[in-house]
Amino acid sequence: MMGQVTNSEDFSNPIRFQGKETESRCSDAVFLRRTYLVMTGQLPAAGQAQVFLESKKADKRSLLIDELLESEAYVKYMVMRWGDILRIKSEFPSNLWPNGVQAYNRWLYEKISSNTPYDVFVRELLLSQGSNYRSPAVNFYRAFLKRTPENIYQNTTLLFLGNRKFNDQGYLCFSQIKYKTSKEWKEEIIYIDNQLKPVVKSVKINKNSAIPLTAGEDWRKAYTDWLTDKQNRRFAAVMANRMWFWVFGKGIVQEPDDWGAHNPPSDPALMNLLTDRFIDSGYDMKSFFKLILNSDLYQSESYTGSLFASRRMPAEVLVDALADMTGISDEYRSRVPEPFTIYPQGTRAVDLGDATVSSTALELFGRVSRDISLESQRSDALTSRQLLYLMNSSELEERIRKSPVLNDICKRERNIPGICREITLSTLSRFPTQEEIALYRKYAETNQLSLRNLASEILWTQINSIEFLYIH
Amino acid sequence: MKRLCTLLIIISFLTSGTFAQQAKSVILIYLDGGPSQTDTFDPKPDATRDIYGNLKGFCQTNVPDIILGEKLPLLAKIADKYSLIRSMTHGANGHETGHYAMITGDLSGGSVVYPSYGAVISYIKKDSYKGILPPYISLTAANNRFNEGGFLGNAYKSFDTGGAPEKGFFEVEGIINRFVKPDDFKKRTQLLKDFELQNKVTKTPEYTLLVDSFRRVNTEFIFGESRRAFDLSSESKEVRERYGMHRLGQSCLAARKLVEAGVPFINVRTTGWDTHKKHFQRMNEMLPELDQALSALLADLDEKGLLESTIVVCGGEFGRTPRVLWEAPWNGGRAHFGKAFSYLVAGGGFIPGKVLGKTDKTGEEIIERKVYPADLIGTIYQLMGIDPKGTLPHISEGALPILPSLGKQGQSNGLLYEIIKK
Repeated sequence: MMGQVTNSEDFSNPIRFQGKETESRCSDAVFLRRTYLVMTGQLPAAGQAQVFLESKKADKRSLLIDELLESEAYVKYMVMRWGDILRIKSEFPSNLWPNGVQAYNRWLYEKISSNTPYDVFVRELLLSQGSNYRSPAVNFYRAFLKRTPENIYQNTTLLFLGNRKFNDQGYLCFSQIKYKTSKEWKEEIIYIDNQLKPVVKSVKINKNSAIPLTAGEDWRKAYTDWLTDKQNRRFAAVMANRMWFWVFGKGIVQEPDDWGAHNPPSDPALMNLLTDRFIDSGYDMKSFFKLILNSDLYQSESYTGSLFASRRMPAEVLVDALADMTGISDEYRSRVPEPFTIYPQGTRAVDLGDATVSSTALELFGRVSRDISLESQRSDALTSRQLLYLMNSSELEERIRKSPVLNDICKRERNIPGICREITLSTLSRFPTQEEIALYRKYAETNQLSLRNLASEILWTQINSIEFLYIH
Repeated sequence: MKRLCTLLIIISFLTSGTFAQQAKSVILIYLDGGPSQTDTFDPKPDATRDIYGNLKGFCQTNVPDIILGEKLPLLAKIADKYSLIRSMTHGANGHETGHYAMITGDLSGGSVVYPSYGAVISYIKKDSYKGILPPYISLTAANNRFNEGGFLGNAYKSFDTGGAPEKGFFEVEGIINRFVKPDDFKKRTQLLKDFELQNKVTKTPEYTLLVDSFRRVNTEFIFGESRRAFDLSSESKEVRERYGMHRLGQSCLAARKLVEAGVPFINVRTTGWDTHKKHFQRMNEMLPELDQALSALLADLDEKGLLESTIVVCGGEFGRTPRVLWEAPWNGGRAHFGKAFSYLVAGGGFIPGKVLGKTDKTGEEIIERKVYPADLIGTIYQLMGIDPKGTLPHISEGALPILPSLGKQGQSNGLLYEIIKK
C-alpha cells in the first residue's frame, strides 16, 4: 500500500529519499509553497521564495522547516487552528465577549510560542478556575451554551479523545463546576464547589479504568490525571492524528474527530508509530511537526489519491494572500461592543481570533463559524460562488488596479520578464516559464497594454488559476 | 448518515401532504437593530406621553379598527393588503439572542446552532429550484451575528449583493463589475485558459474539471439573465421613484425583480433601528422611507399578481420599550424589548386585513394570543410547502427537528391558522 510504513527505520531517517516506486519527490517550489501554507498560513514573499529556490544547500528543506517552526506566523496560525476547535468568539453561541476572546487568544499565543507540551497545555485548560478576564483558560468552560456536566464532558472527550462519550459516568468529574457573575461587565467566575458530596465513590470510564471521586477535592484533577497519563495512548494518538490532518489535509483516522471501532486508522502501523513518537518526545508538538514535515511521505508529490491531499487554500489564508499580493486588505468589522469596531487596514484574517469579526469575502470562502468543535466544520471545497468572486468582483478588481505592490513592481522592473518573475514568485512561489513569459508578451502586444495594465492581467490570471487556489 | 437523513426528509414529505404550497417566494424586510412597535404597528394614542412620546398621532387605515403610527400614512391606505401580529414574543433583550430567535425560531437553548429560515428554505428547495440565481439573496448584505448556515453549513448562506442599489449603477458583487467590460472579460478568460493549458504543476485532473465547469456556469451567470434581474435601470423612473430613491426603496424594487426571476428567499436588510438615543428624531427620518418602500412593494406585487404567491414579512430581532427613557444619557430613547413586539405579514397565503394578538394599554404586556418565533416561521414553512414538523440532517446528531421549539410550552403557541388561507 502506498505510504505504508513497514518498519520504523524508514521513518527514523526521513530526510533521505527512499525511492519508493509509486512516489516521486515534489519539486522545491511545491515543497516551499506547501510548507509555508500548511505551517504558517502565508505565502512566502517573492524574495524569500527566490532565495530558497536558488539555494544550493543540500539540507535547505529541513532548514526551512526549522525556520518556519520558529516564526511568529506559525504561532499565529496554530492559535487560529485552536481557536476554531475551542470555539473562540464574542457572540452567539460561545458568547465570550471581546475581553474574554482577547485574553483567551493571548493565553494560547503564549502556550504555543513557548511550545508547551500538549499534556501540560490540556491540564491547564481543564483545571482552570477564576475570572474569564484574569484567568484566560477558564474560557474553555465559559464557551458552552449548555453548561451541563454532560455537555462539558462530551465536548472534552470530543476534543481530546476524538469522540463524544455518552455512555459512561465521566461527566460526574465535571459536576462541581459553578458559574457566578461579578460587578464587572460580562465578567464571570468559574469555580469548583468542593462542598458537593460525590454520588458515587468512583467513576468507571472503561473496562480497565476507574476514577476515584474524593469529597473535598477537585474531581476534574482525577479525570485529567487519567486522561493525560502515558498509558492512555488514545490521548496522544488523537492529537498526533490531528496534527497529521492539519499538515496532510487528511487524517490517518478521518474525520479526525470521529474515532472508534467503526472508523479504524487507514494505516494502523503508521498511526502507532506516530503515537509512540509523540509520547516519547514528551508531547512536543513542534518536534512532531518537524518529524512529519521532514518525512518522504510529506515531501512526495500530490496527485489524485495521494497521501498529501491537495486542497483549496483555507478562507483566512486565501483572503490574506489576496491582501498580500494587492497590498490592500479586506475590511473587518466587529459588531460588539457597540459602537461597531472597524479593524485597521492591514489586519490579517488569520489573526482576527474571533469568529464574530468578519468580512463578506471571509464568509464566502467558508471561514469557520466556531459553533462546534469539529474539524469537519471547515470546508475547503471550492464553490462556484467563490470562483465568481475571484473572476468578477469589482471590489477585488479595484484592489488589483490600485495595488501599490504592482505599482512598485512595475516601477522597479520596467520590462515584461521582470514583472512576470516578481508576480509569479509572490503568487505561485516559483519562477515563470519561458512559455508563460511569451504568452503574456503576446497578450500585451495584441491588446496594446501598458506594463501596469499587463501586471493587473497577470495577477488576475494567476489568482484564478488552479495552481494558485489549491495547495499541491 | 447524510444520505439517510435526506431519505427521511423525502419520506416525511411524501407522507405528510396535508397542506398545499401556496407561496413560491419570501421577502423578509429585516429592520436590523429592533424597530419600535409603539411608533409603527401597535400605536398607543390613548396612553400617556411616557408611552407615545413625541408621536401621539395615528393613522386610521382603510380597515376599520386598525390604526397605525402617524408616520405610516401610505401603509394605512392599504391595510387590506397585509396583516399585523401585535403579540410577537421571545423575551430576549440581547441583539444576538433576539436575532438568533427571530431568524431560526429556536428558543430551545440547546447546543446546536440552527440555520436561518432563509438557509432552510434554500436547502429544501435546492433540487426543485432551477434558477441560475442563488436561492437565497441578501440586499445588500446579511446580518452576520451568527452563522446563518447553522448546522447545514456555508453552502446555504445568503448571497450578499453588496453595492448600492440607490445609486445610478447597482453593482452586484461578482455579477456586475464596473471596471471590466464584457469584451475585456472574454480576453482575460482566454488568457487564463492558455495559461492553464501550459501548466505542469496541477496534477489533479478532477479539480480541472470542477473549476472548468464553475467557470462556464459563472460566465453564463455574468452575461445571462441574472444581469437583467439586477438591472434597475430597466425600470421606469416612475416605478423607481414610487419605491423611493433610497437604499431601502431600491432594495425592495430589486427584491420584486428577484421574485419575478423565481428566487425563493430574498432578505432586504435595513439597519439603524437600534434607537437608544435620538429616537424620535430618527423615527422622523426613517419611518417615511419604510412607509414608502413597503407600501410600494406590496401594491406593486399586488398589481402584478405576484402577492398571492409571495410572502412579505417585516420586523426585527425584537421591539423597543413602550416606555420612553427620558433621562440622560438616553434623552428620549427606547431600549430593547423582546417581551411584546409586532411583525407585518402579507401575501403567499396570509389572509390580509387582520390583526393577530393584542397588547395591554401601555403595550408592555401581551393580553391575547402570544406568537413565538417558531409559530411565525413554522407558518411560513407551511405556506412554502415545507413541513414545519419535518427534520434536517445534522453532521453528527442525525436528523434534527426543523423547528425544535414548535409545540413546546413557553416556546410556541401554535401555527398562525387564524390568519392563513385554508
